Amino acid sequence: MATIAVPLGAQGELQEAEAVRRPALSEYLRWSVDHKIIGVQYGVASFLFFLIGGAMAMGIRLELWTPDLDLMVSGSAYNSLFTIHGTIMIFLFIIPMWAAFGNFVVPLQLGAKDMAFPWLNAFAFWLIPPAAVVILLGYFVSPAEAGWTSYPPLSTLFSGDGQTLWALGAHLLGISSIMGSINFIVTIFNMRPPQMTIWRMPLLCWAVLATSIIAVMATPFLAGALTLLLLDRVAGTTFFDAAGGGDVLLWQNIFWFYSHPAVYIMVLPGMGVLSEVLSIHSRKPVFGYRMVGLSSMGIAFVGFTVWAHHMFTSLQPELRIPFMITTMIIAVPTGIKMFSWLGTIWGGKIRFTSAMLFALGFLSLFVIGGISGVMLAALPFDIHVHDTYFVVSHFHFVLFGGSVFAVYAALYHWFPKVTGRMMNERLGRIHFVFTYFGFLFTFFPMHVVGMLGMPRRVAVYAPEFQHWNQVISLSAFVLGFSTLIVVYNVIRSYNHGPIAGANPWRALTLEWQTTSPPPATNFVDDPIPFEEPYGYGTEASAAYLDAVDQAFRRSR
Amino acid sequence: MENNPSNRPSISPAAVVVAAVFLLVSVIGVNWFTSFVPAVLPPQASAESKSVDELFYILVIIGGIVFFLIQGMLLISVIAFRARDDDPGDGPPQHGNPLLEIIWTIIPALVVIFLAVISYQVWTQNSEPKAAINMVDGEEIAINVSGARYAWTHTYATNRLDADGEPIVINSGDSLHTYIGQNVDLRLQTMDVIHSYWVPAMRVKQDLLPGNPATGGRPTELRFTPARIDGVDYPQAYPIVCAELCGDGHGRMRGSVVVYEDESQFLELFYEPAIHAILNPPADPVLRGEIVIQEYICNSCHVLDSLGWTGSTGPAMNGIADRAGERVPGQSAEEYIVTSVWNSQAFVVPGYTEQMAAFGPDQLDAYYMEAEQLYAIVAYLCTQGEDSDCDLENQTEAIPQAISTVFGIDVDITFGRGESDESGAMADEAPEAAADESETSD
Repeated sequence: MATIAVPLGAQGELQEAEAVRRPALSEYLRWSVDHKIIGVQYGVASFLFFLIGGAMAMGIRLELWTPDLDLMVSGSAYNSLFTIHGTIMIFLFIIPMWAAFGNFVVPLQLGAKDMAFPWLNAFAFWLIPPAAVVILLGYFVSPAEAGWTSYPPLSTLFSGDGQTLWALGAHLLGISSIMGSINFIVTIFNMRPPQMTIWRMPLLCWAVLATSIIAVMATPFLAGALTLLLLDRVAGTTFFDAAGGGDVLLWQNIFWFYSHPAVYIMVLPGMGVLSEVLSIHSRKPVFGYRMVGLSSMGIAFVGFTVWAHHMFTSLQPELRIPFMITTMIIAVPTGIKMFSWLGTIWGGKIRFTSAMLFALGFLSLFVIGGISGVMLAALPFDIHVHDTYFVVSHFHFVLFGGSVFAVYAALYHWFPKVTGRMMNERLGRIHFVFTYFGFLFTFFPMHVVGMLGMPRRVAVYAPEFQHWNQVISLSAFVLGFSTLIVVYNVIRSYNHGPIAGANPWRALTLEWQTTSPPPATNFVDDPIPFEEPYGYGTEASAAYLDAVDQAFRRSR
Repeated sequence: MENNPSNRPSISPAAVVVAAVFLLVSVIGVNWFTSFVPAVLPPQASAESKSVDELFYILVIIGGIVFFLIQGMLLISVIAFRARDDDPGDGPPQHGNPLLEIIWTIIPALVVIFLAVISYQVWTQNSEPKAAINMVDGEEIAINVSGARYAWTHTYATNRLDADGEPIVINSGDSLHTYIGQNVDLRLQTMDVIHSYWVPAMRVKQDLLPGNPATGGRPTELRFTPARIDGVDYPQAYPIVCAELCGDGHGRMRGSVVVYEDESQFLELFYEPAIHAILNPPADPVLRGEIVIQEYICNSCHVLDSLGWTGSTGPAMNGIADRAGERVPGQSAEEYIVTSVWNSQAFVVPGYTEQMAAFGPDQLDAYYMEAEQLYAIVAYLCTQGEDSDCDLENQTEAIPQAISTVFGIDVDITFGRGESDESGAMADEAPEAAADESETSD
């Protein structure tokens, strides 16, 4: 048995003044190379985009209240609405939101003083605001209206200048994503404390590592596709124009070679969050730690072999079968995670904190997205529901029921570390109830309208679907309202929340073994991690946590 | 604090009970689930739909078991393993269970392999090319579908010949006509962007891909065989939907599949009347124009109350004849309308954009329009108004003159050789069931 290593050192004598000092708000508006500042910058910026994208979703649901085109001035206006909604939610919300938590938490979990490349880190963040401006500038010309997937020739020969701006903005965001990911990979491989082997690394770091590998490998393909699209649009090339010898399926292949792995860029960090939150709040080690870590890598690898299932209705028929098989295989590592998480909470002592509620909500909703994913992989059934509301439902179960619930879990979990104050738990529970049921009744009925015959991306639909759509819209408004609760909670808790202390959840990972918020250098001395990141339930871990508690109590 | 020193899996009696309860709940729950299946799917109007639905049924059963297993374990966990308020302690330091981990890797792997195998079987069975496709009168014919923003056009290349010895082509607009048991094999070609031809009741869908017109385009194929549904009165119409975003009017891009009870009903109500109408067009150019204009996809963008068009992206055609003479200085009403059809970008009505296709005698497929058809269309549009600017008394001269002036093409106006009765019922006047959408009534 290893000796109990308590990460005190000079930590115990932390400067009192700095320990509780929060950065002034103005520091968040400036160029900063501190990963904690950058993390918050990412988080606040992407949450603002979440609100904008969410407001657009409300507009979509208002339009769909009736089967006719009435709210929007034209079908094109509606098309640009869901195009920008999707673009914002994917490129400006989920992906940068995980960069937020990755930035704030990963260096702390590794006991590092900062990311490997602090300046690059800041640069990656500051590409996002101009990219957003470029995309939204489209509204002053003719906004992109070919969907976030932007299939040519609709996006080349049949679209206005907003489509060019869209591609430029997406390009910038891709650059940002690649730079951020390289930073994560280098940080995770090089900046762990000597005691922390790769098999003792927290699972969030595993997930961010897998995500970053995907992003570095896949995003250049997006860049390539966007470059071809831009050339077709502005330089008169014909990569996607059949009349000039081009091929529209070229775009679909390259685009999905990025965009399917990108789904895992959006959800793997959430899975990392889940491993942290479920273990800490049920006071039990992660069940099958190695398999959970390895399954992230498995998903990352298999995720590169499934892209053409997005093209089941356009691909040559004989090529469809291999992609059906790879798509089904990816259910296996995902299943390993699901069962491991259930094994983690099984027999634990579950604390129903808001973070835990959202993590449990993730489990409950993500499984539905997983089941519908396997259904979609089944080629003959997919042919029927391809490009319908069934698909809309499926990916919202994965990206909202999965990623967004994980974002909320991460928010409630790490807010005390970021701000030094606790969130309001009662408001958190109310937020959870509204979000969970609002979500469920918004997106579950979409399966049915899709199967019955309603395609996606339409403002005008057959009147027989109106009742379904009204149920969906009403629930969506509840879901939209629930977001306001968490906004209020964050603002209120930032100012009036109870002082959190260093380690309110009694967690073993290193980010909790420093003050909340951490000082500029994160740790005064090099911290010594506990022998395993999730070693709850042993006397050694209890002693470690007690020692940390006392050290920080003394330092106040 | 419980500590399990051995790494061997231990299975407690409680776990067995819990597992049994799960099983029971899953069986009941899945049964309940599957009873909903027919209610959440469209009618099974094709042979393919039956096998796809059977696959879906299996997916629902397996998915239902997974769903109830996981939600059940979750529910039990949150009830049974809730920490008491006075208990600050940790759970047991269990790190895993290799046996369990192997089980929950192997079993899902076997399940997905099973699903892949049965999906493959259904797929090969449904996508296999069939013999005797599109049989009409004992012969195979070609049925072509053209997708253009925002309407479908179906054409039947028949084996009959017209008076000039040319094969007759039936244009049935946005309706596909077929009969139970016909092995439908469609050749799909888009005129512009990607569209996707989806018939929910048949469970089939295929994208239309832009190709190079100079090399024959890039046709794709779609196959299905309509099947009988008990208790349905034939002919019965089922919606066709565009499933790939194609622009402003994507949601309006619909059509219908009209299924007849058998080949003789198909011949009697659709095929023969359509051929008869082509062989015996009405002599009156206005009547003929009313038929011809509906073979084109004008309804996808324009409004015209007299034909029930509800498009929104193009200028309304109601009362067009009242305005046609004043639009462009120096152009007569006939000349203006002629120009607007064959050279549509020459004058764009203020407030609208240049989106109308170029129709003309040199165009391919859906945009091909003979001068004779243009003549008939103009004759019809000249009647759309209360105080027409056109020379209605003298149409047979004024319109050919306008076409000749603008395009330098002479028009043969001697159609209507046959009987000039009112038998010009085109394809689309075949009975359609009430369930059909309004757009398909053209």
